[in-house]
Amino acid sequence: MAPLRELQAAFRDALLGGPTAAAAAPHILGDGLTPEARLEIYRHHVFTTLTAALQATYPVVCRLVHEQFFRYAADQYLRAHPPAGPCLFEYGSSFPAFLADFESCRHLRYLPDVARLEWALNSATYAEEFAPLDPMVLSQLPGDDLPGLPLRLDPSLSLLSSPWPIDQIWEVNQPNADSEAVVDLASGGVYLEVRRIGDDAVFRALDPAPYAFRRVLSQGACLADAAGVAFETDSAFDLSQALRDLFAEQLLVHHGVAARGQEEG
Amino acid sequence: MPNDGWVSGWMTGGDAAGVLAAAGIGLRAPHVQEVITTRPPVGWLEVHAENYLGGGPALRGLDQIRRDYPISLHGVGLSLGSAEDLDARHLLRLAALVERIEPVLASEHLSWSVTGGVYLNHLLPLPYTEESLEIVCRHVDQAQVALGRQILVENPSSYLRFAHSPIPEPEFLIELARRTGCGLLCDVNNIYVSAHNLGFDAVAYVDALPPEFVREIHVAGHARNDADGLTILIDDHGSRVSSEVWKLYAHAVAHLGPVATLVEWDTDIPVLNVLLAEACVADGLLYRARPRTPHGAPA
Repeated sequence: MAPLRELQAAFRDALLGGPTAAAAAPHILGDGLTPEARLEIYRHHVFTTLTAALQATYPVVCRLVHEQFFRYAADQYLRAHPPAGPCLFEYGSSFPAFLADFESCRHLRYLPDVARLEWALNSATYAEEFAPLDPMVLSQLPGDDLPGLPLRLDPSLSLLSSPWPIDQIWEVNQPNADSEAVVDLASGGVYLEVRRIGDDAVFRALDPAPYAFRRVLSQGACLADAAGVAFETDSAFDLSQALRDLFAEQLLVHHGVAARGQEEG
Repeated sequence: MPNDGWVSGWMTGGDAAGVLAAAGIGLRAPHVQEVITTRPPVGWLEVHAENYLGGGPALRGLDQIRRDYPISLHGVGLSLGSAEDLDARHLLRLAALVERIEPVLASEHLSWSVTGGVYLNHLLPLPYTEESLEIVCRHVDQAQVALGRQILVENPSSYLRFAHSPIPEPEFLIELARRTGCGLLCDVNNIYVSAHNLGFDAVAYVDALPPEFVREIHVAGHARNDADGLTILIDDHGSRVSSEVWKLYAHAVAHLGPVATLVEWDTDIPVLNVLLAEACVADGLLYRARPRTPHGAPA
């Protein structure tokens, strides 16, 4: 008997494909079937579960390419990028990048960006909850500190841009959408903000300067740097309005203070 | 005495045997809102821990539901049987969830899913050897320390046998419970499915389990698949509990006593009432398994 570590590596290779794939079967009794047929029962379950997880996260991509093609793409993806963690809702972060390089759907040039939007919505749904920052906290700081202060944004927030109208593509591919609706792919790109509000993951389009401001802030930059990039984008950028909006929209959160259940307030 | 200082040392999260000598149902996403709004009469609820390790509406719903029902946390991703170390980050997240939800029961599986850091998201089979036993014992010890409580370990549904697997499964589980102080989760459907697929005696398996170790029972539906002319039973949790499994369950509670019983349903999930009706069947059989007074009435 091989040590357990070797047996498990061979089992994995037999399921996903890999150098030691043939090493598992000799350790398995056929009991009326071939050992490979018994391994196939497990392989089938793993692929079914992970494909369903990707379909749940990427329903619009699935609709855009048709289910059969989606299953083929998922099969290729999960062999190359099997999960690195046990939570199915966290699986598939690299699927958009995979689609961008996937020869068979390269003609659908907007597809990877639609996938990025779906991943952002999925991440927003499951993001940890943090208490919003009270504006009083900032007023208590010495005024000189404000420009250099790194601000922490709501972790459910994603900012993504695309040269394609991915917001419209997403809308017309919802189950309850008008089936006659068409999207003009030449209608231009979008700057999108995705976050969770209440129980729902939602998105909306932003103007380029506020988008740049929030995007740079979300990367951990201080206020002065984020404002600098926003001014470069649009010299008419209104910093004080942008700051008021951050508070009004409860986009700033306390560092490291996770919100608990309602009973803990 | 391998039990000394262990079984009594682990908090079981309440009187699982007493409070939960009733049927519960596996709570799945499509039923969460209905359960919150209608508070159906069911003894307790079990959820898959891995679905609640993020934030957002899922966790908020569970925060709400735990005020009305005892909750059991059932893990599917700890991979107690992996030759490599447990995933420390996953264990920390589980511990935080246990602290937050304060479950009456916490359980995992006798199986593995992780190798070389890759998760196969399935409960894969172990050869039952001394090496495996030592590994699983070490991981159960580690999990119980990290979670600060006893865990239950569930027997898997099996579709293959290893050529070298000298320890019978019930014996492996009993030795695991003796060495670590963990409890056992006896999945009656898994015993039925595995007995059919691997050709062992399901009743003898149940009879081999010592009642003092078994703190929870699972029942579920299974599917019959044809594989090259051979019928393989698949533990798909996608239908009502079969009459054969109810029979085996009745035998199990006669032997084990009235143990907290869960009805699981994970594929083609029906309306909530169907699950509640299945839980009523289990409740009826549990009632009959209660210890009798001298006059014959259930105590």
